[in-house]
Amino acid sequence: MNDYKMQTETSPPWDGQAYSVKRHGVTLTNCDSEPVQTPGCVQAHGAILVLRQSDLTILQASENTAELLGHAPGDLASKPVGVAIGTVAQARLGEFLANEPTDRNPLYVVTLPARGDGPALDLTVHTIDGVVVIELEATGRTDASEPNYYTLVKKTVTRLQTAETLQHFCDVAAEEVRALTGLDRVMIYKFHADGHGEVFAESKRADLDPWLGLHYPAEDIPKPAREVFTKIWIRPTPDVDGGLAELVPLTNPDTGKPLTMTYCALRGASVMYTEYLKNMKVTAGLTMPIRQDGQLWGLIACHHYAGPKFVPYQVRAACEFLAQVVSLQYKAAEDREHYIYRLKLDGVHQQLVAQAAQEGGLSAMTDGKPCLLDGLAAGGAALYHRDRWWRVGNTPTEIELEALGEWLVERPEFVAATRPLYVTDSLSRDYPAAAAFADVASGILAFPLSRAGRNLLIWFRPETIQTVNWGGNPHEKPTILGPNGPRLTPRSSFELFAESVRGRSAPWTPIEVDEAAHLRMMIMELVVSRAERLADLNADLSRSNEELDAFAYVASHDLKEPLRGIHKYAHLLLGEAAVTDEEHRRKLEGLMRLTLRMDSLLDSLLHFSRVGRAALQFEQTDLNEVVAEALEMVDARREESRCDIVVPRPLPPALCDRVRVREVFVNLLSNSLKYTDKPRSRIEVGFINTDEIHSRPGIPDGVHGHTIYYVADNGIGIQAKHFGQVFKMFKRLHGRDEYGGGTGAGLTIVQKLVERHRGRVWVESTLGEGATFFFTLPCDDGGHHVVHH
Amino acid sequence: MSFITNPSPIVIVEDSDEDFDTVMEAVKKAGLAAEVHRATSGDAFLALLRGAAAIRPVMVLMDLNTPGTDGRDALITLKSDPAFRVVPVIVFSTSDNPKDLDFCYRAGANAYHVKPVRHPDHLQAVIEILGYWLGRVALPRNERSTL
Repeated sequence: MNDYKMQTETSPPWDGQAYSVKRHGVTLTNCDSEPVQTPGCVQAHGAILVLRQSDLTILQASENTAELLGHAPGDLASKPVGVAIGTVAQARLGEFLANEPTDRNPLYVVTLPARGDGPALDLTVHTIDGVVVIELEATGRTDASEPNYYTLVKKTVTRLQTAETLQHFCDVAAEEVRALTGLDRVMIYKFHADGHGEVFAESKRADLDPWLGLHYPAEDIPKPAREVFTKIWIRPTPDVDGGLAELVPLTNPDTGKPLTMTYCALRGASVMYTEYLKNMKVTAGLTMPIRQDGQLWGLIACHHYAGPKFVPYQVRAACEFLAQVVSLQYKAAEDREHYIYRLKLDGVHQQLVAQAAQEGGLSAMTDGKPCLLDGLAAGGAALYHRDRWWRVGNTPTEIELEALGEWLVERPEFVAATRPLYVTDSLSRDYPAAAAFADVASGILAFPLSRAGRNLLIWFRPETIQTVNWGGNPHEKPTILGPNGPRLTPRSSFELFAESVRGRSAPWTPIEVDEAAHLRMMIMELVVSRAERLADLNADLSRSNEELDAFAYVASHDLKEPLRGIHKYAHLLLGEAAVTDEEHRRKLEGLMRLTLRMDSLLDSLLHFSRVGRAALQFEQTDLNEVVAEALEMVDARREESRCDIVVPRPLPPALCDRVRVREVFVNLLSNSLKYTDKPRSRIEVGFINTDEIHSRPGIPDGVHGHTIYYVADNGIGIQAKHFGQVFKMFKRLHGRDEYGGGTGAGLTIVQKLVERHRGRVWVESTLGEGATFFFTLPCDDGGHHVVHH
Repeated sequence: MSFITNPSPIVIVEDSDEDFDTVMEAVKKAGLAAEVHRATSGDAFLALLRGAAAIRPVMVLMDLNTPGTDGRDALITLKSDPAFRVVPVIVFSTSDNPKDLDFCYRAGANAYHVKPVRHPDHLQAVIEILGYWLGRVALPRNERSTL
């Protein structure tokens, strides 16, 4: 995150000598290496004494001891501590150090009585690295109104424990800290995974502008400052303008080392920090960490705007305790919140899968209610299913999705045996083309929906910069120069931050990744159960095919037998001498003709049912031979109608069932021969190559890429409104005995045969001028699409 | 030939009276010396051959779709019985389904004819079938085989 700073860094100005924040300050480029734990200074409202632990002799004193204790540092050097704080306090201190756990743990010892015009001073002590550190600051106590901090804190803890959501929990924490301290604004500042912060909860003086929901770049709280907050529980800055008092001498005369002031409440603040506060018109501050397992989760940041605000030691102790309680309870509140989020995701995902199962398709996940966006927090989602994209919310365009989909299915994460998920909050790092749509899809969470093929599901998250409400106006011109040189202001830090999070989204949490994986499992189960259902349907289908077989027998035998009987009796009656009456004779002949017609209808039906079921034998076929055979078969009819049949150019070979395709040609040729009113008819058998298709209008969709065969005649033609009907079973457009009769099954059988080759058949015609029947045989593509039925 | 004076026993397996009449009409019209036995079902047919008055036909004209044990089962039973395997069975059915043709020839049928619906064609078909099998073809001797 902070690498870019290191690149420009040169040796800091204090290199090789003792550091004092008062003397050396800090600049934008070195703030991440600022020795904030050894600033060499204290905040000038208090004083500090550093004692040798073995004999409580003064080693160092802050330069302002004359004002607070009546002795300049020079007078105190190498003197017993009693010289500075009096012998009573010294005795108390000695006893205290002997009995209390003071190592890196500042504790209140005693209040030094007021001296002359100076205030009474609270004395706190802690030990570190062999020295005793005494901090002295004006006591804020007014004996008259001593609040019972124990009762206050106890009430606060009870309220925190009953908070149901993390938000409510933080609201309570902010309110309680403000009530306890009387500061103008208390914020619960939450760090995101990328280090930037958000004002998550706020309690403030009514007249102040709300900062709730504002986000601040990570650089607003430099790394060393964060590190300090993993060690201490409270950081007071009671007077931003109060100035600094340097230690005299600057280093420990015994060791030559600077004092580690991590645990000092009076630790001199970085000039960076005080300027930052001043830029926000803050006059006093108080900060407490919210942390767990050494991880800094956030801060309780308090601002005061009406001049200095000294929060006395006792109140600070209560705040410190509160910060610890908040840290402990925070984990429980967060767990509760995660649990609720997990329940919600689980519920929505279950509903989505139930919906998909009910509607028989996954598209309900983007189009239904609820949809994918009601679960996982995302800006958009897309699903590739049934050869198309289904989108909801903000997603890349379909063209962009196409390319992304192709890239994703090749990812190693996608072919992983367990949990094939691809998760990123910075897609353009793996897939540079994503930079073009970073605004909607900087982060994606994607998984495949099938082992093979490219069905997949993707959630999209926009670039963080687009989604958050940045503190202040990011476009405002940053203040470049402060009184102490170039300074980081909230706005200039924004520029740096924007650069570092370009192309990044909010990260996907482990819960979200888990729930996505679970959704995938549920979808896969659904797909498997669908496959089982399909297998059942197939079994049903083969059963009904067998039933169709049985039906064919009914048609062929059980219906034909009585038919034969009827025909016979009519024939016999006709033969009897009694039937001399012409009228009776005509009726009996009609009866016989009808039985024969029914016989041929039954034959057609039977044939049609066989065409649909019989196995096709695909072979490389010379269609010219097939047409020649078909012509022979229609020869008788051809003689009758005096017809020229031409094949303008040899047909290309095709992979097809030779016998069935011959039947197609026979039926189309008979049809053309039948329906003519010209004395000399002409029929043309030909084909249209794939590269010639574009130049022809009226070609239906879905046949491009396949050779089109046709049989064209100059016969009576068909009205456009009947184009569909000609392919219907037993549908005739003319009287039964016109144009040579027939059952009306020929074109239906043609259609069935062509469909068995996965092709299409259609007709173009102008009434009175002729008709052209077209068909395709897609099974001829390259010869490797052999279909087994 | 001897069977002209001694009418040859033939069995017609046929459940349709009309179709059986057509067979009788054909026998009469062609002047065939045949002793015609009729069975209306597969079971009746097998009983006819195996019963007390066991008939030993020189040929069988068999419809496939008969009630109960149908013609297919009767055909299989007959052709798997060494005693009757030599008796020619001529299938005469309405079905022109290739499956039926295939089944019958595999089961040992000696010929398969499709019944026309048109009466004159139907009659002519029976005359030709019976004329051929009773007049043209040299049949096995009408004795119980010792196979």
